[in-house]
Amino acid sequence: MASRGAARDGFVAHVGRRSLETARALADVKTWGPLLAGQMRRLGVDSVPIALFIAVFTGIVLSLLSSYIFTGTVPMYFVGALVGKTVMMELGPVLTGMALAGRVGASIAAELGTMKVTEQVDALETLAYDPNSYLIVPRVLAATLMFPVVTAFAMAVGVGAGWVTSINLLDLSTPEFLKGLKQFYQFKDIWFGLVKSASFGAAVALMGCLRGLDARAGAAGVGLSTTRAVVLGCEAILVLDAFWALVLL
Amino acid sequence: MKRSNEFAVGLAVLAALALVIGGALWLSETDVNQKEATYTARFRTVGGLGVGAPVTLRGVRVGRVEAIRLVEDEWVETEFRVDRTVELPSKPAVISAAASLFGEWSANIVSFEPLPTDPLVRDALVESDRVGGDAWPGATLPDIGQLTAQASRIAGDVGDLTARIGQAFDSTALKALQQSVKDLAAISRRMVVFADAQTSRIDRVSRNVATTSDAFAGVARTFQQAVARLDTATSDGQLQDILANGQASSTDLRQAAADMRSVMAAARENQVSLVRVMQQADSLVTRIQHGNGTLGMLATDSTLYHEATATVIQFRELLTDIQAQPRKYLKISVF
Repeated sequence: MASRGAARDGFVAHVGRRSLETARALADVKTWGPLLAGQMRRLGVDSVPIALFIAVFTGIVLSLLSSYIFTGTVPMYFVGALVGKTVMMELGPVLTGMALAGRVGASIAAELGTMKVTEQVDALETLAYDPNSYLIVPRVLAATLMFPVVTAFAMAVGVGAGWVTSINLLDLSTPEFLKGLKQFYQFKDIWFGLVKSASFGAAVALMGCLRGLDARAGAAGVGLSTTRAVVLGCEAILVLDAFWALVLL
Repeated sequence: MKRSNEFAVGLAVLAALALVIGGALWLSETDVNQKEATYTARFRTVGGLGVGAPVTLRGVRVGRVEAIRLVEDEWVETEFRVDRTVELPSKPAVISAAASLFGEWSANIVSFEPLPTDPLVRDALVESDRVGGDAWPGATLPDIGQLTAQASRIAGDVGDLTARIGQAFDSTALKALQQSVKDLAAISRRMVVFADAQTSRIDRVSRNVATTSDAFAGVARTFQQAVARLDTATSDGQLQDILANGQASSTDLRQAAADMRSVMAAARENQVSLVRVMQQADSLVTRIQHGNGTLGMLATDSTLYHEATATVIQFRELLTDIQAQPRKYLKISVF
């Protein structure tokens, strides 16, 4: 009983300590502010190509798949509705998040893990730099801000790929595709996907930072932390996806 | 490097914002240049009409539904935008109807006058118009589900009717009906032949009836004569005598009947004892038949009969012998 109470107090104390550290780190704008743009470039802008690559093929597959499903029963202009809704609300954010979990999460975990095992983090503390402000905050903020940007590009490219596929590979005209796309469109379709992608970015970057800073035992420990960061990032994306679907839909 | 980062990030962010905002405006067909006018229609129910549904005029899309809201007195107000360049009817009304079998609905702008022929739509438009205000009157057509449900019910009824007709007029019944028609035709032909054949007979019967009528007339005359004679006999008193004798006989008969009834009553009273006597007699006869008792033994055993007969014979011989030789049996001695 006493040990359970101690554990509870320990957990509460841990949460309190982490919250205070986070607040202090967020308040230390002078430390993380100059680093933010670089992280946004590295985590966001540099991730656009892979996100667009995934979005192109997602749009193509969705268009072909919906035409296969609708043939003979449902009017073909529903292809536009299905491609638009699916890319904007689900596949755009989730597939982009998954891809960036591999790229960004692994990158962050490997970088911070290496810094940890080579005692660069300790050196930062020796130089009076708060590791949270210097390492975690700029990455998490950058991912949170840039994931929606990347996702917005992915949405546009995914829908565009679906449209091009529909008019070239399917017997569908542009007005028909746009009819389906516009008829069932709601503004919620877009912001729902962007809100989700922001939460995905925060989760992926946070998992990468935490796993990286927990790295132990040299290069093998860094590899293990990287793997765990990617896996946890993907799991967090799926859990958050279900959460937002329950809350916002 | 730092400026390069900032430029790249800024460019990406701006491009993404432009994409999101531009795409949202384009997809929602937002009227940036105010080329569209907003109108409101009032419905009791909007059916499956939703935000974003097309607004059509004579089948041509001219706008889209912007908002749907519940208002007081159980009305539903629908707000929609229509292109300003479109020439609307002088008094417009809106009919919400299913646009396809896949759940799409549209708001169709029509002229309020003349009113539609459909009584439900007409009543709905009149009711909505009666409220007044700026809102256009609106009505809703039944959706595909309601129509198909009604059609399904009608189809079911037709099916039942067909099945019943099928049961009533199956192949056997049809053959029987055909046979009946043929039989009726044959009967008609026979009736014609019969009528032709009986025409002469009917003539003869008619003549016989006339002859019979004459004969009856003769009988009637004879009967009149007999009645006249009867009147004569009545005047001589013979008939009165006969009637008097009849009355006397009737009185005797009534008396005899009364006696008979009293005899029958006495017999009914003695019936129980008679039955008992009969039962006892029957029991006695049964006992005699079975050889019980003296009489039974007498009736069934011949030995006694033979013994008695022999005794009688011997007694007669004894009497004969006594008569012939009295001294042999009687000895009179004075001393």
